[in-house]
This record gives sequence, C-alpha cells and structure tokens, in this order.
Amino acid sequence: MIVSSFCRKAAAGLALVALAATGCTTKNPSATGSATTGDDASTKSSSGPVTLKDGSQVKLALIPGGAHPYFQPWKTTADQDKTEFKLGAVTFNETGEWDQGKQNNVINSLAAQGYNAFGIFGVSPTDINSTFEDLKAKGFAVGSLASCPAGDTNSADFCLSTDVETAAYKAAKATIAAIGGHGTIVHLTGNNVDSNTQRRIAGVKKAVAETNGKVTELPVITDIDKDLSTAQKAVADLLAAQGTKINGIVTTAYNPAVAAADGVASSKLPIKVVAIDDDAKILAGIKSGGVAATVTQNPVGQAYVGGWLLALLQSKQCTMKDPGVIVDSGSFVVTKANVDTYDQERQAKTKELQTEFASHLTCS
Amino acid sequence: MSDRKGSELADGLVSPTAAAALQEPDVPVGKAESRRVGGLVPWWANQRIGLLVLVVALSALFGVLRPAFFNQQLVIFPLLRDIAMFTVVGLAQLCVLSIGHMNLAVGRMAAFSMMITGISYDLWHFTLYAGLVIGLVAGAAIGALAGWVIARTRVNSFVVTLALDFLLLGLIPLVYTALTDNAAFVTRPPGMRELRNYSLADVCVGNVCGSPAVPQLALFAVVAMAVVGWIYSRTKLGRELLMTGASVRAAELSGIPTARRVIVAHAMSGSLAALAGFMLAVSTGSIKATIGEEFMLPSFLGPILGGTLLAGGFVSIWGTLIGTALTTVIRKGLDLLGVGLESLNIYLGLILLVALSTDRIRAKLSDRQGVRER
Repeated sequence: MIVSSFCRKAAAGLALVALAATGCTTKNPSATGSATTGDDASTKSSSGPVTLKDGSQVKLALIPGGAHPYFQPWKTTADQDKTEFKLGAVTFNETGEWDQGKQNNVINSLAAQGYNAFGIFGVSPTDINSTFEDLKAKGFAVGSLASCPAGDTNSADFCLSTDVETAAYKAAKATIAAIGGHGTIVHLTGNNVDSNTQRRIAGVKKAVAETNGKVTELPVITDIDKDLSTAQKAVADLLAAQGTKINGIVTTAYNPAVAAADGVASSKLPIKVVAIDDDAKILAGIKSGGVAATVTQNPVGQAYVGGWLLALLQSKQCTMKDPGVIVDSGSFVVTKANVDTYDQERQAKTKELQTEFASHLTCS
Repeated sequence: MSDRKGSELADGLVSPTAAAALQEPDVPVGKAESRRVGGLVPWWANQRIGLLVLVVALSALFGVLRPAFFNQQLVIFPLLRDIAMFTVVGLAQLCVLSIGHMNLAVGRMAAFSMMITGISYDLWHFTLYAGLVIGLVAGAAIGALAGWVIARTRVNSFVVTLALDFLLLGLIPLVYTALTDNAAFVTRPPGMRELRNYSLADVCVGNVCGSPAVPQLALFAVVAMAVVGWIYSRTKLGRELLMTGASVRAAELSGIPTARRVIVAHAMSGSLAALAGFMLAVSTGSIKATIGEEFMLPSFLGPILGGTLLAGGFVSIWGTLIGTALTTVIRKGLDLLGVGLESLNIYLGLILLVALSTDRIRAKLSDRQGVRER
C-alpha cells in the first residue's frame, strides 16, 4: 500500500514536471529594484553632519553573523540609536550561528515582521552581496557593518568597517616596534577560509616585508578563534615548541589575543604580545606591561553611525551619491602611554565619520 | 564450518547495528514488512501521516501567532528553498542508511564536489549545468572511494567516513587558498543568480504561471526524490540495496554482490551530497570552502524522523521530506517568535522530542490494535 501510494505520488510528480517542461517559458526578467535614486531627493548637498528629521517609520535591525564579544556593543548602541534618533523600533539579532543560510533566514524573518533598515555583518564576505541584492530589490536600506563584501563590488548602500588589512598592518608594526625592530614574530588568527583572515595575513606580511629581512615571520597559525580553549591549546603548544625562538606575537582575532596574553604571562617568556580589541583582560595586561599593545576597532561607531545613516536612507531623507561606498571605521593602537585616553581618539573618529558620510549623501 | 565462515564474513562487512540485527534476523525484515503492508497499520498510525499533520498544525500555529509566517516572499520562499536543500541532504544519508551504513562525511563530500565545480567555473569557464554535472561526478567518485574502502577493508562505515571527513577537512582549504584570493570561487556562470531568486511564477505554460512562493531551486529536490524513490521501489538495484541492509548474509546467499552494492550506495550518497552543495552555493551566492559544514545533523534528522531505519532494510523518501520540513518549519517559526540564541535550539529539541513521543504513542496503539485483530 505504502509503496504503491508512493508510486502514484511519484508518477504524479513526474507528470507535473513533464507538463511544466512542455511549452515552458520564462518571463522576461523585470528590473530587480525600482530606480529610487534621486526620486525623493533634491540636488542639495550637505557638508556637515545631517540631522534626521523623522525616524518614526524606520525599524532598524543590527545583525551580526552570530554570537561574539565584538558585537555586544552593538546591542547597547542600538538602544542609543533608538533613543537619540527616535526610531520606530530597533533589534539586535545574533541567532545566525555563523552560518550564512541561517543569517539569511534571520534577516528574512525580521523583514517579514516589518524591519526595514538592516545593518549586517555578513557571515560570508563572498556570499553577502547576494543577500544585499535581495534586500535592495525589496526596497530596504542596507549597510554592511564591520566587514565589507569580498572583491570589488559592494551591493549594500554603504560599508562601514574596519579595514582589516590596515588594522593588521598596524598591529604588526606595533609588534615590530616592541621587539626593537629585529627578531622573529608569529601571527595568530582566525578562520583560514575567510576572506577577511586572508586580508589580515596580507597586512602582517606587508609590515614584515618592510623590515627588509630584519624581522622574520613564522608560519601563520590560523583556525584558533573558535573558542578560548582552542586558542589556549594552540598558544601552549606554540610556546612549548618554539617559545625561545619567538620575540613577538601578533594576534588579529579575539580568542588568540586573550590566550596569548595569558600564555606569555604564565610562561614568563620575554615575548611581546600585541592583541586586538579592548577586552578588560587585555587592557589590564597593557597597564601591567604584560601586553605591549592592542589594536582596537570601532564597533560602537559602526552601530551608531550605521544606524544614523540607515535611518536617513530608509526615511528617504537622503540618498547615497555613490552607493556601495566603503569607509574605514578606524583602528587604533593602544599602548601603556594612551591606555587611559584611547577612547577619546575613537570617539573623535566616530564624529568624523558622520561628517565624512555627509559628503556622500544627497539630502532634502 | 561453512556457517562460521559466512558469519565471519558478515561480521566484518556490516555495521554494528546491522550485526546486532543479525542475532534476530526476523526483526528488520518483520519491521519492513509491517511497514510495507499497509493493511496491518491503521492509516492514523502511519508515521509519515502523523508527521505531516504535525507540520501542518505547527505551520498553522506559528501563522496564528505571527501572521508574517505566511509572507510569500520573505518566509515561504526561503523556507521552501531550505526544505528542498536539506531534503537532498537527507537523501544523501538515506542511501547509505538503506544498507545499514552511515556517512559522516556528507558535508565534506559536498564541499569537495563544489570545489571541483568551482574550479570548472573559475578556471575552465564551464556553464552552470555543465559544472553541476562535473560536481555530481566528483561527488559520486568520492563516495565510491569511501564505499570501496569500506568494502575492501571491512572497516566500519562510521570509521571510514569519519576519516574521509578529516582528510577532506585538511585538503579542501589547501586547494582554496592555493587557487583563490578570498577562499571562495566567486565566478558566477550565467543563470546562477536567476536560479537563486526565480520562482515558479517565472515558469509558464501558455498564460498559466506557477506560484511565486515556490522556488525553482526546489525542482532539484523533486527530481532527486523521484529518482531515488524510483530506484528503491522499482529497480533490481534498489531491492538489492534494501536486502543488503536487511541482512548481509541472506543477501549474499541470494547471490547479491554486496560489496558492489556498498560502493554504489556510497556513490549515490556522494552524488546527492554534491547536489545539495550546489543548491547551497546557489542559495547563498558563492562556492566556498565551508559549504556543507552544517549538513551532518540534518542529513540524519530528515530520514530518521521520517521512518528510515538506522539498521538498514527500509527507507522512506516522503518521510525524509516531511521530517526535514518539520525541523525547518519549527526553526522558522521560532525565528519569527523572536526566540533568542540561548533558547532557540532548546525549543527546537523539545518540540522534536514531543513529535517523536507522539509517534511512539501511536505506534504502541497500533500494535495493540494489531494484536486484537490477530
């Protein structure tokens, strides 16, 4: 019974496929998105920060690729965006589980619930433009935050992100300075098959090359940012095997940074560690001298300026003169000398970002 | 003497679960028969119908709680695309479950196959479907390799496919970092973007067009289900695979070349993994090294929820579709309800447990009724 029932269903299914194939035609593809550029805007250009007039219809969603300490400031900054710009609603959703398919589903679910402005850290830099194109085709404002699409195209309205190659370059320069300009360094980082990691690796290599051989780099250690214990094991193995040959460790991912700071402190080897971001443990390490420097990024600026810009775009007050523009949200070297004041520099950069973006906007 | 030799051969070849089944040779056959002969099982205790009712009920529930659930463009379309893709993932596992084996490298086989497809697009400028065919062949080849190792060495399929998974885990990133700048092949042959977004509304017969909620990509799953279903229900190959799964010793005594069937089952698994990888690459937008990383759990969930036996000997193609749909609908509904990351998978697990429990209850009631009838 079951088998024959299945056969009938399979036969019916095949018949449907065959029927669809006969006389099957494909509609002419219509334009994927309405040409809204310039429709609602005058040619007036603004040279200073733009004030949002009415954000009540804007529902802002900030969507990282998954749970990660880097994005926690987005949550509080989203609330600040809501209060300051009087947005209709804001949400922060980190249930993408570092899977592009799942993140796409989260985005679609939020859109179905009325969210119409999206600040997205794409899980996969090589996939995320497809997601952006879908959202733009449906009339939503889209910003790529904290990471830009790989390659030469950015299909979002804008990208506001750390230039990860520049940040890694600065980190490597700080490491080289800390070890006195000669010796051996090693680079610890995250997912090898991620285009941002490839750019970080390139940034470090560039800094090493500029020393004309005075500084050498051991093979990069990748794929150790999954969690802290993975990073700790890798650091322990590295120090045990090559600790006496290493003068500096440069880290461009969160878990390796924390693990390297801990590991070097525990081993008491005279290795200079340059970390990333401003975890409390890392800042304490800088104050105590155990960490030579860290390179912080600007997650608050990304969420604050990104939210402001998305609201301007979705409320139709402004349009981008050059859609897809990429702006560096900034990376900042923190050492013992400026560990108590570095955030001022970062806040100043955030203000500058609004001015910089204003030059890319046409507003009514 | 001959009995002992046969037993040793069987022990070396079959999976532990199938070996355990040999101690009670009638159990899997009996189960298979009771499932096949509908008269012995009331319609309301049929596992697939129960799951189908549950899928419909949950969809209705989520729709009542969040009307956005029925949004054609933003919810139903991507939901059906995911169901289609994970159904093919489930079929890949189902092929080896049919012979009582497991394939732990389903995801990595998808990544390997799509790596070959990506090379064909990026370096050899193949068209969309030519590249797909290349990927399917690569998937079949890597699957056949696993099957050949299992048949030749008589090492358990769990161990061999786990080892293959690690082998590919190391190999695939090496190739990507050597051949690409961004750890992905970003070349998109003509038609790839359209396949991602086109629905049946773009397919017309005269003036009649299909539904905008049904993605064209879902047709791949329909074809895969039709082909796999036809093989298992209508061909000698399919019958021999199921007999191999039911009892390797009995199959060999019947003259079935079980080693060759093992290779074929794993080749089919690899090919279907490749198809699923292709559907994922089209859905998300590029062919990258991490394709298939999320395939392991769904590959088991669909077929087993749908009634396919772990011990081999019985498969359910429709059950795989419905089992996959159940999981996907639950996840989508929880997304819409705004369940946070901390709770999402807890609720998913709890709902699945309830689903399996109700199925067990119906099975017990059915057995009781069966006893009464006898």
